[in-house]
Amino acid sequence: MAPHRGCGSPGGAAVSRPAAADRLARLLAVVPWVVAQQGPTVREVCERFGVSERDLLADLQLLFMCGVYPFTPDSLIEVDVDDGRVWVRFADWFRHPLRLTAAEGLALVAAARALLEVPARADDIGAEAGRRALRSALSKLEGVLGPASGGAVDVELGDAPQGILTSLNEAVEARRKVLLEYYSFGRDATSERVVHPWRVFSSEGHWYLLGWCERVRARRLFRVDRVRSAEALEDGFAPPEDPGPLSVYEGGADDQLVVLDLSPGAAWVADQYPNEGVEAAGDGHLQVRLRVSSTAWLERLLLRAGPEVAVVSGPDGVGAAAARRVLAVYDQVP
Amino acid sequence: MDRLERLVNLVVALLDTRRPLTREELRERVGGYSDDEEAFRRNFERDKELLRDMGVPLLAEPLDPLVPDGAVGYRVPKDLYQLEDPGLDEEELMALSLAGSAVALEGPGQAAVTSALRKLAGASANAGGSIARPEGQGAALADLPVGETVAALFAGVAARQAVSFTYNGERRVVDPYRLSYRQGRWYLAGYDHARGAERLFRADRAGPPVATEGPPGAFELPDEVAGGPPPPWRLGDDEEVVALVRVDPGYSEWAERVAGQGAVVERGTSGTYLELRVTNREAFRGFVLGFLEHAEVVGPPELREEMVEWLRTVAAGAPEVLR
Repeated sequence: MAPHRGCGSPGGAAVSRPAAADRLARLLAVVPWVVAQQGPTVREVCERFGVSERDLLADLQLLFMCGVYPFTPDSLIEVDVDDGRVWVRFADWFRHPLRLTAAEGLALVAAARALLEVPARADDIGAEAGRRALRSALSKLEGVLGPASGGAVDVELGDAPQGILTSLNEAVEARRKVLLEYYSFGRDATSERVVHPWRVFSSEGHWYLLGWCERVRARRLFRVDRVRSAEALEDGFAPPEDPGPLSVYEGGADDQLVVLDLSPGAAWVADQYPNEGVEAAGDGHLQVRLRVSSTAWLERLLLRAGPEVAVVSGPDGVGAAAARRVLAVYDQVP
Repeated sequence: MDRLERLVNLVVALLDTRRPLTREELRERVGGYSDDEEAFRRNFERDKELLRDMGVPLLAEPLDPLVPDGAVGYRVPKDLYQLEDPGLDEEELMALSLAGSAVALEGPGQAAVTSALRKLAGASANAGGSIARPEGQGAALADLPVGETVAALFAGVAARQAVSFTYNGERRVVDPYRLSYRQGRWYLAGYDHARGAERLFRADRAGPPVATEGPPGAFELPDEVAGGPPPPWRLGDDEEVVALVRVDPGYSEWAERVAGQGAVVERGTSGTYLELRVTNREAFRGFVLGFLEHAEVVGPPELREEMVEWLRTVAAGAPEVLR
């Protein structure tokens, strides 16, 4: 059969296309599979690789003009698209995809290791089979990545107690309210509250529960490692269509704005604390603007940073008052 | 000629040769380059860079092996280019695909996962299934940053090849053993050549460029490799002191989780006593002050006195700041 060029429309010039590098990468991965399958349907190819028919045909059409010098018909790759099926022949150079880069290998290994970190429910047989498949996939993947890649990466998504994480996940799944005993680090107080658990997720190495807190009648984010106990209640709840962004830092506009002056030794404060802007203030000093939702949070910051930090704008004497309270524990009257 | 077409021809030409080809030879074999000398050179360099960025093992070799400093040519060895079929079955391919969408990788990681899955789907001739992201899938379960530095370190770990990077203002050469993600950060455990000892590095502080040094397969892994980082009060060079800390009963659970069960020496009505080996006093102070008035340094007297002094300074108030 003669090479068939009539597939797909050439497409208008104004249509935005992925950059050449993306298309090349896709082509180099898709072609080996098409070659090996010996005439898969166009639909199969599109479904397997998650690519639209239009993009696929455009790529294939172009491939068919490629080959080796002197580009006589017998030195060109042959592409046939006929009756919804596709054949690629004389593409010996592309019998295998391009090897994985280190970044690709790491990204996939890390994602797999992370997913294996998520505790499964004991009664979930499907999940267990999926984990088994993931484990064996990981060891095969590590086989192509290098001699030492097995166990070369380990991921911990957070240090929350597994029991509490599992109960919270079950409550999310079952749409049942939970009674939390929660230590609020910011307020330095433990409280009991009924929460509608919407989602459990890990971010920046900590587990979080996002949900509706009945006590404050608002959406709240809880650190799972500060949940002392979680008891599923009989009451159900209806989760919202859109729980909103899963942003860990939610500096509210209601929170007090505090401006701190940092001497060079305390520049780490600007790195470590979420803030609303940093400005150079001369002599290596920085001025950082923070939203402060609770006094205990500011107290800790000021106690740790000590004389390297001064409050430029905000409540007076917070650090000093906290220091006096702690000194009392040491039987020291300042 | 479309640039993509030119690139495919370039890859074919480079794979199709056993001896290195000169730039001029490639120009002729690939076609589609400009007749203008300057434009050709520029475009050829750009194409070469694009292929290398994609991970194509494009070698530049002397045309005459006997003249190592002479003119260079280019080729791509097939055995370095090809991804062999890893032998995945359909369930395994789908499991990896699920992992790729359940975990939100930040930075260049997301694109890397997509292209890795595509390559695996292309190589796995006997596995059915699809790597397409399911529609309407919920938000990710976890996020994980995977940047270029960590990827470069991983290349060394996987190949057992030494890496070099700048750390605390100093160039280090390290046999990289393992990468661990803890508390939102990547750590590299490895053998520091200059120090002659195993060390733990924060990957985000390993300054570019991260380069490989020497051949792959250059070292053996020791039996035990440190996993995550030690607690912050052990990440330092201060002279070691063993500190005794008392934490109020309501806060001991948290303290034990951070310090480890092994640190607990006594649990009583007045609280939990922890023994901590401190080599970073500033981090130690930060840990204890995190409890506000619910913890105190019991001993040794020297460390307790240091804490009291610190608190007195803060209680006295910071000097006035110019407003």
